[in-house]
Amino acid sequence: MPFQEKSAWVMSLSLVLGAVFYFGVVTAMSPDFSRLAPPTLPVVAVFTMVLIIVAILGHIAIAALSPKDANKPLDERERKIFHWAGHVSGNVFGLGVVSSLGLYLLFHSGDLLFYGVFASLIIGQLAEYGTRIFLYRTSV
Amino acid sequence: MARRPPISNRVRELREQHGTMTQAELGDVIGVTRQTIIAIEQGRYSPSLESAFRIARHFGVGLEDVFSWDE
Repeated sequence: MPFQEKSAWVMSLSLVLGAVFYFGVVTAMSPDFSRLAPPTLPVVAVFTMVLIIVAILGHIAIAALSPKDANKPLDERERKIFHWAGHVSGNVFGLGVVSSLGLYLLFHSGDLLFYGVFASLIIGQLAEYGTRIFLYRTSV
Repeated sequence: MARRPPISNRVRELREQHGTMTQAELGDVIGVTRQTIIAIEQGRYSPSLESAFRIARHFGVGLEDVFSWDE
């Protein structure tokens, strides 16, 4: 498996773990507010720390397994894969943001808008890593 | 993007004719990863013109001796 595909798996895993943590905390906090709990900086900070720590540890592990590949620049096929994955990610993120704005127009909830955009960011990134993995395994 | 390009090649055949050159070794010479050489040999990826020339020059043959257009 190419280093960049391993990296995409690591980043996907760290994002999923971070998202499960973040939205788990929000869900747990919400009944206390009898509505959607407002976003708080500490939870976002912990989410970011979880993401960074898992990503760093994961990349150290995969780089240790194949140090030669870890230092190689992207080749022409990988640059195409990254380009396409970024394109897909941008579309998914844009769709999520527009949907979140639509929700704001319907419910006038800034909290919901924040969570919508935040989730779109995570889903957009997952779409990018998923597209990379798919293209590495199929074709370009 | 996932459509298979209508181009066939003799990269694997030429590589095997040149002793025991591995896909990784050819990748190092051309400046691409082993996975890209695998994708080229399987016809899943058409290399850039520069890489195609590098492959042909490495084997000492012309471009059309390596790559051909399938109508």
